[in-house]
Amino acid sequence: MKDPATQVSRRGLMKNLIASDRPKRYAMVIDTRRCIGCQACTVACKSEFSVPLGESRSWVESIEKGNFPDVGRNFLPRLCNQCEKPSCVSVCPTGATYKRDEDGVVAIDEEICIGCKYCMHACPYGMRYLHPNTGSVDKCDFCLHRVEQGVAPACVNTCQGYARIFGDINDPSSAVSKMLETNAVSVLRPAMGTEPMVFYIAADSSDERYAERTGVYVRVETNRRQQKRV
Amino acid sequence: MLNRRKFVKLSAATAAASVAMNGTLSQARELPVFGGKDYSPATGRERKAVPSACLNCVTRCPNIVYVEDGRIVKIEGQPNSIRSEGKMCAKGQGGVNHSNDPDRILYPMKRVGKRGEGQWKRISWDEALDEVAGRLKVLKDAGTPEKFMFHYGRMKSSISKMVKTNFLGAYGTKTIGNHTSICEGGKWTAQELTWGKHYDSWDFDNTRYVLNFGANPLEAGTNHIPTAHRLIRALTTREVKMVTVDVRLSNTAAKSQEWLPVRPGGDLALALAMCNVVMSEDLHKGHGEEFLKFCKVTDTAEDTLENKVKALKDNFEQYTPEWAEQHCDISAHAIRRVAREFATNHPACLVSYRGAVAHYNGNDTERALQTLAAITGNIDNPGGRCLAVGPKWKYPKVKKMPKGRKLKIVDGPKGAAAIPSHHMSHNVLKMIKDGSAGRPDIYMSYMYTAVYANGDVQENIDVLKDESLIPYSVNINPFYDESAALADLILPEPPYTERWDWEDMVSPVQIPEYYIRQPAIPPMGETRDFGTVACQLAERIGIDLGFKTKEEFVRLSCEKTPAIKAVGGFEYMKKHGVYHDPKAKPKYYSYRKELKPKDYEKATVILDEATGTYWDWKKAKHKSAEAAQKKGYTHSKGAYKAYVGQRIGNKVYKGFKPDKLNKSGYFEIYSGLMKDKGFNPMPTWYSIPEHDKMGDNDMIMTTYKVATQIHSRSQNCKYLTELYHDNPAWINPLDAERRGIIEGDEVKVKSEVGEITIKARITPAVKPGVIAISHHCGHWEYGRYASGNKAPMGHEDDPDLKRMWWKGNHGAHPNWIIPNAPDPINGQLRFMDTVVQVMKI
Amino acid sequence: MLEIHWGLPVIIYLFLGGLGAGAGVVSASVFLRSHAGDASEGAFDIARWGALIAPIPVIVGVGALVFELGSFAVGDMFRWINLFLTINLSPMSIGSWLLALFVIVSLVYAYTFLGSNSRPGDEHHGLRKKMAWLMVPLGVGVALYTGILLGAMPSRPFWNSPILAMLFLISALSTGVASILLMRCIFGGSSSDAKGVEDSKYLLSSTDMLLISFEVLVVFLFIMYAHLTVGGVEHAIDVVLGGSLTSLFWLGFVVIGLIIPILIELKYVLPRLLKQEHYAMPHAMELAVCMLVIVGGFMLRYVVVIAGQVTGPIGI
Ligand SMILES: Nc1nc2c(c(=O)[nH]1)N[C@H]1C(S)=C(S)[C@@H](COP(=O)(O)OP(=O)(O)OC[C@H]3O[C@@H](n4cnc5c(=O)[nH]c(N)nc54)[C@H](O)[C@@H]3O)O[C@H]1N2
Ligand SMILES: Nc1nc2c(c(=O)[nH]1)N[C@H]1C(S)=C(S)[C@@H](COP(=O)(O)OP(=O)(O)OC[C@H]3O[C@@H](n4cnc5c(=O)[nH]c(N)nc54)[C@H](O)[C@@H]3O)O[C@H]1N2
Ligand code: SF4
Ligand code: SF4
Ligand code: SF4
Ligand code: SF4
Ligand code: SF4
Ligand SMILES: [Mo]
Repeated sequence: MKDPATQVSRRGLMKNLIASDRPKRYAMVIDTRRCIGCQACTVACKSEFSVPLGESRSWVESIEKGNFPDVGRNFLPRLCNQCEKPSCVSVCPTGATYKRDEDGVVAIDEEICIGCKYCMHACPYGMRYLHPNTGSVDKCDFCLHRVEQGVAPACVNTCQGYARIFGDINDPSSAVSKMLETNAVSVLRPAMGTEPMVFYIAADSSDERYAERTGVYVRVETNRRQQKRV
Repeated sequence: MLNRRKFVKLSAATAAASVAMNGTLSQARELPVFGGKDYSPATGRERKAVPSACLNCVTRCPNIVYVEDGRIVKIEGQPNSIRSEGKMCAKGQGGVNHSNDPDRILYPMKRVGKRGEGQWKRISWDEALDEVAGRLKVLKDAGTPEKFMFHYGRMKSSISKMVKTNFLGAYGTKTIGNHTSICEGGKWTAQELTWGKHYDSWDFDNTRYVLNFGANPLEAGTNHIPTAHRLIRALTTREVKMVTVDVRLSNTAAKSQEWLPVRPGGDLALALAMCNVVMSEDLHKGHGEEFLKFCKVTDTAEDTLENKVKALKDNFEQYTPEWAEQHCDISAHAIRRVAREFATNHPACLVSYRGAVAHYNGNDTERALQTLAAITGNIDNPGGRCLAVGPKWKYPKVKKMPKGRKLKIVDGPKGAAAIPSHHMSHNVLKMIKDGSAGRPDIYMSYMYTAVYANGDVQENIDVLKDESLIPYSVNINPFYDESAALADLILPEPPYTERWDWEDMVSPVQIPEYYIRQPAIPPMGETRDFGTVACQLAERIGIDLGFKTKEEFVRLSCEKTPAIKAVGGFEYMKKHGVYHDPKAKPKYYSYRKELKPKDYEKATVILDEATGTYWDWKKAKHKSAEAAQKKGYTHSKGAYKAYVGQRIGNKVYKGFKPDKLNKSGYFEIYSGLMKDKGFNPMPTWYSIPEHDKMGDNDMIMTTYKVATQIHSRSQNCKYLTELYHDNPAWINPLDAERRGIIEGDEVKVKSEVGEITIKARITPAVKPGVIAISHHCGHWEYGRYASGNKAPMGHEDDPDLKRMWWKGNHGAHPNWIIPNAPDPINGQLRFMDTVVQVMKI
Repeated sequence: MLEIHWGLPVIIYLFLGGLGAGAGVVSASVFLRSHAGDASEGAFDIARWGALIAPIPVIVGVGALVFELGSFAVGDMFRWINLFLTINLSPMSIGSWLLALFVIVSLVYAYTFLGSNSRPGDEHHGLRKKMAWLMVPLGVGVALYTGILLGAMPSRPFWNSPILAMLFLISALSTGVASILLMRCIFGGSSSDAKGVEDSKYLLSSTDMLLISFEVLVVFLFIMYAHLTVGGVEHAIDVVLGGSLTSLFWLGFVVIGLIIPILIELKYVLPRLLKQEHYAMPHAMELAVCMLVIVGGFMLRYVVVIAGQVTGPIGI
């Protein structure tokens, strides 16, 4: 509680949710056409934070679809969406999870978090996990510790497909801004109303139920402990 | 907490020191710096960055290893590398786990129980070195150095020069086995037969069309990261079309515009038919025609274009698309269309790897593919299939070497392979068992697991376990793999993150890149770089190598190599890790370089009339020019080393320089060497005998690599094995239904050499009739993360051990049921061929 | 299938919290309605039992909840205090404060009933009455908020329904009533007034019956609305309509916790209700009904907590 940012975020919760005057707005565009499912990002993220086995801040889903010989496989890299209306923040009873005024990144103060796991349920994307060492919840934070030093997030840095484009959308000349300007993008599960700041180009939209209806084979899986899409 | 710190404002322009982008994405101008720096998320402190090089796979990308509190915590790509452009694959980053593997071997270990029993005692280096050197000296003194067999796997660059060239050379043994025949040796032989050198380089940055036969460059490949990220850039940013021929939908096939699900080994028919289309439709005209000048297509040393074209038409006439359809299951229509596309989208890049060559008929598949590239003018051109370019390091060499002696056990039984230019390592143990060519007294293996990586695992175990066949066995290893478990002595090497090397892998931009590997932390425990150990053994035997450690060797090499010396030598390399000449131009069309008369008018250089080749009779170890003329270039042993140039018309060109075989300086579509061995000199159809005899219920098993594992060596990397620890067999729904198999069932897969039990993954992403199993899983040693079994010298210092959620789920190894059978021409192990029966249990 | 992050401790907490709050509310309202306990000794007795019961399950439940905290699991005993260093609009934050107040108030309220000579109009009467006034809203709050807690998230379509809070409230009241009945059954009334006892028992049973009827209705609404929706909610409800939790839900909760108890209660309540006959539920029956209702209440929490976690949003 020595932290002024957290104080602000606690008291000004509602204000933060509708704040639109951040100095920076970090966002990511993921161009799935360029993603080859190599998992370099997954391992970059895992090792950057020594994420414990069984948990992940980021992963890549694989969507295999079609009937032989017309079969395709696409990939969907996943990370915290740094939502504009983060439901994880609105349910947090301690204010440990908050959206940063300065750049919109949703962060967690691990000293305040009590590990009640409420936010884990509230996140419609399954992006949060309980860190077994700290007893606090953890998730992707856009690699703030790197970004604050001007270095690209670990996953972006390593992405060999250049599928992950990161930057400040307040800056119209940034690559993200341009990508957003010139491409049709979508966000994940828009119906959840969280207004993600991670945007996708050409994201696959299939789920398993689609297979039942059409008789087309679909397999959606991840390499995480939870093999299914969450 | 970091999130408390105020954001540091950075000027967008200065931060963009990245060379990483040359696509149309303007990302390079973006605020964040790409790589080169990392910070601790816990403390915010900058992590120590050590420029070094990966060795998890053969690609050996330059990297940066980050250290925090004396531990290796993170690995990233080297942003200044022109090869990787700062990118790094999952496996390379998973390399962080090697150093901290709780099952790592930290001390020399000597067997105490029976061989293979798993009883070990820690001994000192002095004891270990005395023991090995003592035995080595006995053999050397007895004049039988060949009874020391050295068997290596991923030993490249400086370590190879230290150990193979210097140490083994000075010791005098040539009983040296490698692993190339289980790798891509077959492709190399075929390339040596055609264009002389082995590695090829695919110029995706400039290509307009990519046709891929049995390679999986987006997941694997010997130049993986440097080519993969360029390929995806070509496919997306430039919308280059790619067609992939594979028996299953690899991720590369999935990212290609078209997947041609070929019958295993049917690639040859497909390639021949594509040549047929090109020739019969005169699509060779233009670029192909131009290139034919540099090709040998007939028996005649220098033939006319008409004759060459006629010879090609004649040879390929029989291989119509309709004919091929019967052998490869790709429709004649598709064959024609793709062949036309390939021939008319110049430059086009023809890609091939193990899926095409690890077959009975792999040699001619690769020759046919080389031909296809040649007749469309896509050889060594921008955007095509190029001759590999790598740096030329100079290094210290022992002056006086004895004439080496060898046991003839590395090329397989007599007649097993006609031209095994990369040996038949998978038959070494068989040969030892057989004994007719002698047996080594000392078997030392390095970075290689004969037990696990070859076919017929049981036989490998039986031989390695048998003290009457192999009296003394030394394994050099950071980890307790299946081969180490069968050794008498294990010499612990630190993983590559704690070693020195200079490196030299192929550059996809046709500009050589020099780079080094340096230890990010001192070797843990008592581990020692084997390069240094070799020096210490030499010293004990009484051999003076002229250097004492790997570090010294690397330093001396930096001083000897002019390009490096000029920029500051060893110190420069330690600081920067990589170097390339910023003024260098990409190297294409090297064969077109005209030699100056002074090059071939030397006293010792003569012209071989039969081939049009200039060669140096002295270098070829002939007594006189006459003796050389008499024997002729082709039939003089090792004459390729004396190659000077190729006469074409009234000019002498650098031509296609031979590497291991006495081919001419032409690109040899017509191979006199093949003819000499009794094969058709032109690419020819061979069907696979076992496939011809297949029963109705038989299937063909193929094996493959995944993006997150390397062979048998990365399963101790917890971050990788968490992602991929189980390797269910891919079975098409049609085959599954016939056998009553459903997703997740345990199935039995049986071949002539054994059977395995494996989980089924029912997927349309594999061709009916094919069962595809990756070869990464099914360890029974290699520590807890890999197999669930603790190494006898394992420790408990990794809290993640108790979080390993895949315990008991370690997959099944297919090599138990793959026979160690070779391609009869080049000796390549036929990994993609095995006929099996698959049944539900 | 998604992983379970909230396990038995949370289920126990939701169940006991509801039961305690229910008992407290019933106690306080019976007490207040019977002219602050003056009217009948039977009513006072009910109020007394309810008051004595209320704090205990809530405290035990909160205790269980602490075990589910990640911070507690890593040995940090007191980080949960952070809950009370802030107040915000999170249902959990509001709930924690409610719970804390409820525990304090219910303890004071229980205190006023302690001692064998506590009776209407004794020296604690004033305090008791004030506390009773507090107990009603706090109890209702606690019982409701457990449902709001779960219902507040679109990410958990099974939970994401305003009806859930109603369901939890009614279930809390009904288990609260059952727990009072059970206690009285086991330990007997302290009253010598047989008519009063019968009246109060009748009162409780008929209340319970009414509550269960409401519960059946609310369950029906819950299922119907979920089923009639499209998308994630419809998908999620499948888990009780033909999925892994179907039998537990229908047998464990609906049949055991609702249908059987209501049938039994009908059998004994109807004669008095319709024909003004004596209300005479046999002791064993009474015990059985109470147990069934309590088990049913637990099953409800169990099924709901698990079902909410094994289902999730669909699509990407
Ligand atoms: N991730 C990863 N990368 C690696 C390695 C690794 O272990 N893991 N190892 C490195 C080494 S040493 C090597 S040699 C290279 C090898 O690199 P590649 O040769 O590209 O890889 P493989 O998986 O051996 O084989 C390539 C493809 O051949 C397909 N295939 C199998 N049978 C047939 C067939 O009959 N016809 C056709 N057309 N295709 C077939 C397989 O499905 C597979 O997708 O990779 C290097 N890079
Ligand atoms: N079925 C099937 N089998 C295959 C293949 C296939 O596609 N299918 N691919 C084949 C191919 S392409 C290849 S190249 C071979 C590779 O076969 P190998 O050369 O045997 O495989 P590696 O994974 O390189 O590792 C060999 C051993 O090196 C040890 N090792 C790891 N790091 C170090 C180190 O730093 N120092 C030392 N001294 N030892 C180390 C490990 O213990 C490991 O067991 O496998 C082949 N086997
Ligand atoms: S687990 Fe931590 S961050 Fe999440 S809601 Fe609870 S206190 Fe907030
Ligand atoms: S993705 Fe989930 S965790 Fe991330 S901000 Fe959105 S709701 Fe919160
Ligand atoms: S931004 Fe950082 S924390 Fe987030 S997924 Fe990428 S590497 Fe992981
Ligand atoms: S690193 Fe890039 S290309 Fe690879 S899986 Fe991640 S997002 Fe996709
Ligand atoms: S491609 Fe090979 S050498 Fe390069 S980073 Fe990956 S594993 Fe390392
Ligand atoms: Mo290989």
